[in-house]
Amino acid sequence: MTDRGQPDPASVPAEEAATESDFPPLSPAERDEMITANLGLAHQLARRFLHRGEPLDDLVQVASVALVKSVDRFDPGRGVDFAAFATRTIIGELKRHFRDKGWAVRASRRVQELYLELGHATSTLAQELGRSPTVAELARTTGATEEAVIEAIEAGQGYRAASIDASENEDDPLSARLGEFDGHYDSVEDRALLGPALATLPVREQSILRMRFIEGLTQSEIAIAVGVSQMHVSRLLAASLEKLRQSIGQVGADEVAPRP
Amino acid sequence: MSETESGGSDTLRVGDRVELTFPARGDLVVLARLVTSAISARAGFDIESLEDLRLAVGELCLLALQGSDARHGDLCLEFTVAADVIDITCTLAGAGPGSRDAEDTGEADQLSEQILSALVDEYGRTQDDGAVRAWLRKRRRGHLA
Repeated sequence: MTDRGQPDPASVPAEEAATESDFPPLSPAERDEMITANLGLAHQLARRFLHRGEPLDDLVQVASVALVKSVDRFDPGRGVDFAAFATRTIIGELKRHFRDKGWAVRASRRVQELYLELGHATSTLAQELGRSPTVAELARTTGATEEAVIEAIEAGQGYRAASIDASENEDDPLSARLGEFDGHYDSVEDRALLGPALATLPVREQSILRMRFIEGLTQSEIAIAVGVSQMHVSRLLAASLEKLRQSIGQVGADEVAPRP
Repeated sequence: MSETESGGSDTLRVGDRVELTFPARGDLVVLARLVTSAISARAGFDIESLEDLRLAVGELCLLALQGSDARHGDLCLEFTVAADVIDITCTLAGAGPGSRDAEDTGEADQLSEQILSALVDEYGRTQDDGAVRAWLRKRRRGHLA
């Protein structure tokens, strides 16, 4: 009788062997092999989510990334079958993908609005309750009927319309007939930068900026509202804008064009 | 308080049973999913469980369809609401005996079963007298705790 099953006491400290997993980490080659061997599983699971309108390629990509994660996290010492573990992880990631995904289907406006409202209500309720809310709770929060909530969730399953590059005629994709790059994205970025900077200003300067640029008041009107001279409003505005430029400049020094 | 919380007429109560029968075709499984949403919502499942159940019911139908020549049969889904679980049974009746490649079927079954194990608490499949029967059970989480 040989005792090949026994670990060599010289190479494996008895205590460590007892507490740590008995399985050493995978070598890069083994890891690759394990991933490759299970790509089929990722692909098939991705197909299960196909009826929801997302392109298969995207789903396969989400599933494949999840597969890599599950290979890295898998602990054979726990006695769980890898396929079962990976299935669980991949389905979880696919579900998350749909949950996080925007949406673009021809649902009625009412349903769309309710769906968006539900997204908000779901996260608020989830925080309050410490669990995912029920349809009854969502209905109560949004003031919609349960049927409407179900309908909206149902409609939400088709998160995504066909690609704008999809077309019967490859030379004439829908995207070619659409407008140009949307400059509003730039202003979204600017606003994202501006928000935190704005919050650092004194309250009075914030409200002067708001009156000037959001409410569109003139400097004289602001002067009356705040009870100072128009010259003073002008100076305060200039100073506030300068402060904003500086704090934004610090955040995104590379992106902001150098001022003279 | 809302009707549903006080157990209004809209809610499914313990012991309530719903049946849905439709032609055993893959493209009609969407009906099973829709009804599953409606029923599990009325049984008080949270929306994450609801999504799990929708997906699981699809697999249940596949499990029942696999292994049989289902071109002429009917799929019958039976939903039973109990105190803290929902039981769903899918029976394929009136279909001819299986004619598909056993190896293929086995692999597809295995995948369906793995998906079910990720989504529900218990599941199984039996076959007697030409009727294939797949079932699942899912517990309501946290709601009553």
